[in-house]
Amino acid sequence: MTTEKQIKETVKGFLLNSIHIPELDEDDNLFEMGIVNSLFAVQLMTFIEKTFAVEVEMDDLDIENFKSLNAAAAFVMKKNGFRNAEHSSVPLGQQTG
Amino acid sequence: MHLSLNPRQQAKHEEFKAFVSGNVEPYAEQWDREQVISESVLKLLAKAGYFGCSVPKDFGGQGWDTVTFGLLNEALGKASSSLTSFLTVQSMVSMTLLKWGTTEQKQKWLPPLASGEMIAAFALTEPGAGSHLQSLSTKLSGKGQHYVLNGTKKWISCVQHANLFLVFGKLEQHWVACLVPKDIAGVRVRPIFDLMGFRAAGLAEVEFTDVEVPAENLVGKPGFALSHVAPVGLQYGRISTACSGLGLLRGCFEESIAYAAERKIGARTVGEIGMIRSLIARMGTDLEAASLLCLRACQAQDEHLPEAFEKTLMAKYFSSRAAVSAASDAVQIRGASGCHGSSPVSRYYRDAKIMEIIEGTTQIHEELLGKMLSDRTRRSW
Repeated sequence: MTTEKQIKETVKGFLLNSIHIPELDEDDNLFEMGIVNSLFAVQLMTFIEKTFAVEVEMDDLDIENFKSLNAAAAFVMKKNGFRNAEHSSVPLGQQTG
Repeated sequence: MHLSLNPRQQAKHEEFKAFVSGNVEPYAEQWDREQVISESVLKLLAKAGYFGCSVPKDFGGQGWDTVTFGLLNEALGKASSSLTSFLTVQSMVSMTLLKWGTTEQKQKWLPPLASGEMIAAFALTEPGAGSHLQSLSTKLSGKGQHYVLNGTKKWISCVQHANLFLVFGKLEQHWVACLVPKDIAGVRVRPIFDLMGFRAAGLAEVEFTDVEVPAENLVGKPGFALSHVAPVGLQYGRISTACSGLGLLRGCFEESIAYAAERKIGARTVGEIGMIRSLIARMGTDLEAASLLCLRACQAQDEHLPEAFEKTLMAKYFSSRAAVSAASDAVQIRGASGCHGSSPVSRYYRDAKIMEIIEGTTQIHEELLGKMLSDRTRRSW
């Protein structure tokens, strides 16, 4: 099981390993920063699906779900049925790297 | 691609080779010469379940893993790049629908695609927009129950046989993808002939004039067609092309070593000449490398790893370039007979070059891979 904080750290680790940026804050907008091309957008989606055992579906196609670390963590928590993300946790899928 | 196969994959591989030997190899030259794939072989592909190889059983497909999909593409690609392109495109449209289609869209369209009752085309490229997709000029307009589609797509594979198109265009400021049946009013197909390679792949230009597209035919949400919808299709297109190129490379290698062992120049066989051995050594090594890259890409796709995109780019990039090199060397080894249609290597030579262009050119692959790899300064290799 993993918490929202751990989700953010996991996604942050993936982003910093994949994109040449020095640091990333939780509310930094990935799309406004211009660091996400179409191929990386689907890579990020696949990472989230694989790592947190969720499926990004047609209805989930919304920039708001992936624009920042906070957004991605909230999305994962929501997909796993947790409304109160601050105090909940989700199963961690197989880590990728 | 043959290392690390499980017994089921190995059995399928044998089945694919037998299918190709009996139904594809004897006719591939004829299809190329006549610039058309016979309907009968498309029916055989359908009967064998190959059009739905990656589609889950719930939707009438076979539900085979990507490694098996790769093996099928390799086997077909060794005999006919043109025929393989039908599998390429069918998988691009089917897997895009599987990922981004609504439940209703999947239930309506996937079973006929999986059975081969419907043949699909991936209508992305335009006369003025190939590598730079932001330049697409196809437009949808309107609101409510129907949209109106106008635009022209060009160099689209399989259109001459297809009856369903996945079309990409712009709706106001948003990139969208939509399904368009061929038999709808306002769709006009102009076949393209006399291509250098893939001559039987049924390419065409498609003109859409005030075509009414039902709102329920939009695939994915508006705004995500180029960022999320198209990349899913292109991923399968690249896997298919990489493995098809691997098959062509294998064909070049097998033709070359057979010829080199048999053909004599004076008292020596061609294969005893050092310069020919150099060509064969390079070809054989490229074959092994392409095989491993394709296998790794397919396995990564099966494991749903984000690295699958990078590995697929590498496999397609390497495989297509190696195929071009091998085809050139295969013609060189055969000499004059390699320049004639009676030898498959002349067709390999023409087909291989197309593989460096479709599903992203070699230069686009270098741009994407170069950025992807150089950005990973923190990654441990």
